[in-house]
Amino acid sequence: MPLGVFFGRMSFRARPWWAFLCFLCLLAPFGASASTYLDELIGRSRELRLSERRDWNRLMHYASNLITPGVHGLADARRFYLAPDGKADPQSELEATLAAFFSDIQETDKEQNPQCAFIARYAWLDRQLKFDPARLPRQPCRRFSEWRATLNPQGVTLIFPSAHVNNPSSMYGHTLLRIDAKDQDEKTRLLAYAINYAANTDETNGIAFAINGLFGGYPGMFSMMPYYLKVREYNDMENRDIWEYELDLSPEEIDRLLMHVWELGPIYFDYYFFDENCSYYLLELLEAARPDLDLTGDFRWWAIPSDTVREVVKQKGLVRKTVYRPSNATVIHHRLELMNGEEQAFVSSLSRGRASAQDPGFAALSPPVQARVLEVSHDYLSYLRATGRSPVEQPEELARKLLVERSRIGASASDPPVPVPEVRPDQGHGTSRIGLGGGRRDGANFVELRVRPTYHDLMDPDAGYVRGAQIEFFDFAVRDYSGGMGARVEDITPLSIVSISPRNEFFQPLSWKIDVGWARRRLSSGDEPLVFGVHGGPGLAWTVPDTLRSKTLVYAFLESTLQADTRLENNYALGIGPSIGALIDFTDRWRAEPYAREQSFFAGDTDTAWSVGLRQRYTLDRDWALRLDLSRERQEKQSWNTVLLSLHHYF
Amino acid sequence: MKKILIAVVISALPAFAFAQQNNIGSCGWGAKLFDGQSGVVPQVLAVTTNGTSGNQTFGITTGTSGCTQDGVVKSTWKTAMFIDGNKDRLARDMSIGNGETLDSLAHLIGVREEDRATFGRTMQANVSVIFPSGSTTDDSVVALKQVLRSDRELAQYAASI
Repeated sequence: MPLGVFFGRMSFRARPWWAFLCFLCLLAPFGASASTYLDELIGRSRELRLSERRDWNRLMHYASNLITPGVHGLADARRFYLAPDGKADPQSELEATLAAFFSDIQETDKEQNPQCAFIARYAWLDRQLKFDPARLPRQPCRRFSEWRATLNPQGVTLIFPSAHVNNPSSMYGHTLLRIDAKDQDEKTRLLAYAINYAANTDETNGIAFAINGLFGGYPGMFSMMPYYLKVREYNDMENRDIWEYELDLSPEEIDRLLMHVWELGPIYFDYYFFDENCSYYLLELLEAARPDLDLTGDFRWWAIPSDTVREVVKQKGLVRKTVYRPSNATVIHHRLELMNGEEQAFVSSLSRGRASAQDPGFAALSPPVQARVLEVSHDYLSYLRATGRSPVEQPEELARKLLVERSRIGASASDPPVPVPEVRPDQGHGTSRIGLGGGRRDGANFVELRVRPTYHDLMDPDAGYVRGAQIEFFDFAVRDYSGGMGARVEDITPLSIVSISPRNEFFQPLSWKIDVGWARRRLSSGDEPLVFGVHGGPGLAWTVPDTLRSKTLVYAFLESTLQADTRLENNYALGIGPSIGALIDFTDRWRAEPYAREQSFFAGDTDTAWSVGLRQRYTLDRDWALRLDLSRERQEKQSWNTVLLSLHHYF
Repeated sequence: MKKILIAVVISALPAFAFAQQNNIGSCGWGAKLFDGQSGVVPQVLAVTTNGTSGNQTFGITTGTSGCTQDGVVKSTWKTAMFIDGNKDRLARDMSIGNGETLDSLAHLIGVREEDRATFGRTMQANVSVIFPSGSTTDDSVVALKQVLRSDRELAQYAASI
């Protein structure tokens, strides 16, 4: 019998003595009066059809089944659903929940009464059914009260750490919530608590992590930590700017959210990278707080954290204000810009222990300038340490020395704060793109349809994005050629990442690129099969002139290509060669990229291929852009020109 | 009836062992090491032995675990954990005499608005005393307490550490 099996497996076998003890102590509360009142409550819940209400379905994390009628619970811990069939039957679950509230289990450090363990459900059902405390005694829930008192909640803020520089995949981002306390203000937010939802794993193998993550192989759980640990992690260790979105929630809504967090504390969900991820469950928390919000509707299949932030911002009146918290690297960049060459040179040598504050040259500087130079030197040393490039053996002693020197200067540097970027990450172009264009290639006219499901490329308008960063999934183009050739797939690129990060005296990132996919390749016969290839390599980049707001970014890469196809000689081709180019912003709207690339295929199907071209983009408005691409290519000793004009829409 | 019993038993099960293992309760073994001892030094040592500046996450509703209770830091640990978790930033703010991390510390130990300027100046003057070494904060809480105690205006706050 299914019940017996369930019971046996879940409790007796796992903790036989414990479960038995509980079994005995539970016999008491189910006297005649309790079950009569329970029957009454169940009857009323059926009359009111409570289990069909949206609130109940949200609290229980039910989602509609795909094909069959009915629902399934997303929470994967069996202890979240109290009825054996509670994962699929909201009414049965509701009745089991009501029954559980009659338990007289006393709260201990490791165990809670169901009224406290499921305090959000209790509060909601109490509101609907108006429990009679004489017949259903109310439990004190001391642990929850103490927890809530420590949090002392006044507000909730959505936290979005933006991308790592030089790691385009981090543009997808992560989100967490912060519970702001009544006695805090903007200056003391570090003391707030953060609520994080993450996959719980010690996996260090990136590939295993990715695969398990895709298929829900890890349990996802909510956890808390002081917000300062998160700020230190993102701002100082990973050098990611943080955006904070203060939400306009009422005290009742905040309480609902906290009660629900409490309820989900010990519960895990299968963690899926793409849909049931950190951001999805934070949206669910917000929905639990304010049941008329519909935030998760659009994210049943695909929840990109930055898109979920947009969804929250889109809700009228939900975001009260935004705060920008620049990373250590951003602050250093900004303050270096305020310095002259001499001051920068001091930063460079002081932070590497090659100069001292006692040097006559330094002593000659004015106190505010000395303060600025010492502060930036310290911060830059922290940056070098955080990125694993410590310039001296004992960087912590050098850091301390710089701070002690700084503390001897009474003056303040009075540098202006880092300006808040004009465009926030949620205000950039939409992450999906569709483009329609027409052109001429090697004497044949064509029309092209290009679809890019996500996310951003080098020529897209980069307000709200990281300049020089590209990450795209499943970019795909079809063309219909005139002159009898007809329609064909031009290219399919499941993954493409480019990171062009400028270097200077202080920051020396390595640029890199990789793409995997199918593209047309000319054979000596003149045929152009769709050939699979992997292509990428390291590079260097600089801004000209070397300033933050420079309009020109030049780059050089050493690229390799491996192509595999039965129509190639020996079934493959392996090549290597340089590429150079520049991203030039003539105006905020008009960007051009001249480029030249050569690949010498030295193994397999040998050939020297090259291409030169000029890509241009003109932004019409946030979600529309025009592009003009001109190129000349050579493969298998044949050369041709291409021109393409296309209109792109972001959504 | 059986259904109800099952439901109640299951709802009261402690979190799966798995969950407890993976939600590091922060000061776990450090706290045990100094179990029963009170005062600042054991606290700080307990915190540091477990390195709070890392990526700890605290499980919600996992009960008492080291220096946290159900996911929030116990009040007796707040200052020591804050100093350890922010040591670089805090030392930096102290050397300047102001800043977000220093403001937060002042708030944590209850420094009133009218004493904030004195607090900032005193911290700036004593940064080398509070952080006698670059690598650890073992003695920082004790030193901070000493510095406050020896200042006429700030002595009143020494007790709240």
